[in-house]
Amino acid sequence: MIMKEDDVKILTEPRLSLADQFYLPQVLIGLGTTMKHLVGVLGGKHRVIQYPEQRREDLPVDQGGMLKSTYHGVHRLNKDAQGRVKCVACFMCSTACPANCIHIEAAEALWDDREKYPLTFVIDELRCIYCGMCEEACPVDAIELTSLYDLIGFTRQEMIFDKAKLLEVFDRTVKAEPM
Amino acid sequence: MDFFQTHPWVLIAIAVHLAILLAIAYLILLERKVASWVQDRLGPNRVGLGLGIIPILKDMKMKGLGQPLADGIKFLLKEDFRPAGADKILFSVAPALMIAVVIVSIAVLPWGGIKQTTRIIDVTSVADGIVPAAGTPEYRAIMDQCNAIVPATGQLIGQPIIHVATGGVAARVTYRYPFQIATLNVGVLFIFAVLALAVYGVVIGGWASNNKYSFLGGLRGAAQMISYEVPLGLSLLCIILMFGTLDLGEIVDKQATYWGSFVPAWNVFCQPLAFALFLICIHAEANRAPFDLAEAEQELVGGYHTEYSSMRFALFFLSEYAGMITTSAVCVALFFGGWHLPWLEWLWSPLRGNVDAAASPAITTSLLACVIRAAVFFAKTLLVIFVFMWVRWSLPRFRFDQLMSLAWRALVPMSLALLMATALVIYFFGAAAQRAHLRVGGTMALAMLGANVIIGAASLLAARMLPAPPPTNRRLKIRRGLEQSSPVAGAAL
Repeated sequence: MIMKEDDVKILTEPRLSLADQFYLPQVLIGLGTTMKHLVGVLGGKHRVIQYPEQRREDLPVDQGGMLKSTYHGVHRLNKDAQGRVKCVACFMCSTACPANCIHIEAAEALWDDREKYPLTFVIDELRCIYCGMCEEACPVDAIELTSLYDLIGFTRQEMIFDKAKLLEVFDRTVKAEPM
Repeated sequence: MDFFQTHPWVLIAIAVHLAILLAIAYLILLERKVASWVQDRLGPNRVGLGLGIIPILKDMKMKGLGQPLADGIKFLLKEDFRPAGADKILFSVAPALMIAVVIVSIAVLPWGGIKQTTRIIDVTSVADGIVPAAGTPEYRAIMDQCNAIVPATGQLIGQPIIHVATGGVAARVTYRYPFQIATLNVGVLFIFAVLALAVYGVVIGGWASNNKYSFLGGLRGAAQMISYEVPLGLSLLCIILMFGTLDLGEIVDKQATYWGSFVPAWNVFCQPLAFALFLICIHAEANRAPFDLAEAEQELVGGYHTEYSSMRFALFFLSEYAGMITTSAVCVALFFGGWHLPWLEWLWSPLRGNVDAAASPAITTSLLACVIRAAVFFAKTLLVIFVFMWVRWSLPRFRFDQLMSLAWRALVPMSLALLMATALVIYFFGAAAQRAHLRVGGTMALAMLGANVIIGAASLLAARMLPAPPPTNRRLKIRRGLEQSSPVAGAAL
């Protein structure tokens, strides 16, 4: 549809006051604002967390800390009481994944309580956008996002997490964040 | 040692350049610190002087004091890239020109007033045992020897006193030299002539890069710097008119006193409007926000230095800060009394001039006093530079048409009116003072302040009566043909 003359709303700029027109008073007010912040920081009123020494999970939320229970960090693959991987290789997570970063190869289950289990389960952590859709989609609560956020690697290959690595993340975090 | 006694300016030059180059490095750190403080952050605070390598120092962070060194090393190690199609020679000339121009202009800054030295030299070899009478060849030979020890920038004071001392004849020589690198009686003119050349750095850099963004940045920079040169020169002229000299040293010298024996006789107090105009213009000259249109990141990638990397970029970057130092130092010399340390100078007589305070408070016999004055000068300069940074992190950038209308519709007429007012005040109040080459008197200062206030108020009123500028939001009418050719629009009609 093409715009008509009546559809155009014409806004006029507000007329500047005398002080606005002379710039300098308003400039001085602006300088005052920034000086207030500058003096505040020198007096210790800053909003910086000195990261490796201070960590967000150690701080209360109102001081910039993070809420561990809702944080979307590195994934883990949960294990059941017998120490088996909980995943049933239903592909719900990889279907839900908007970044297409979950790759599963299913195989005939070794146990009687399910049909399939994941032979391989690979998440490309570099591709992942940490939206948590996989966690939402999982029918057996097998995949979960932990609160670990400082994952590093020297190569891209290191950042592609396979099943063993994802299970290891479970072992590392299960105490702090039970299923 | 003898060389430095007759060439004190070499020592001053070395000291000043080291201090300024070091200051530039740390100004970049200060800029980042100020930026973060204004934004409620802490700024770089990790790199200590050990740079993470040197033992013992390695684990100390020292509030980020090593950051400029680390930045410098990084600049040196980066790839020195030159785009295809760039002009090979001009591409290298531009950054060199930019920094050279700024460093040259530091030479005429009056750092420490005038130093008076008295030395006794042994002239036994020429006149053995007797004091020769004036006019004899021996006397002339002694005079030659005395003249030889006076620095090239200095001058002999009075006649050398020749007397017989133990073991020969000695001459007592008194001479004065200004505590600055070069003495130039057109100092102000020189600085602004040289600084105006910096626009070539911007234009050539922008042109040689063979990049449309650089080119646009260069063009904008040229238009801006040339436009703001006009009100800059005019506001400067107000001060020059008051003192009747272009010599920066003399201008500072005449400010180093008090009105009513308490208020420092600084020009900022009697010419506040000229100071405001000058400050605005040096922001534009130094290409600093809110006048950084030549390198507007959001519009022009990086402006005239988009294509520069490594040390060539570093030169552009450093020259911005060196330019800030120079222009701020000139600002201090013109408006804040240069090396004048108000009130505290009463504590120690060499600081307030202990030779002939009535003639000139600049002349002192103490080298320490000169060094303290240079430090005071530098401290004031740093304060002005801090204002530069404070402004940068407070104000958004002007649009290009706003920039031009500010210069030509506001600053130029105001500075012209102020120049006229200054001339009138001098005509009515300062005629005697001008003829006698005295300092700006108290009455004249008050009259000047009044004139400044009147011009400020008048320009406020005049601004209301100026014809409106073209509308910033120029709307195009919807074309009739388009409307009719569309079936939807046709149906609606």
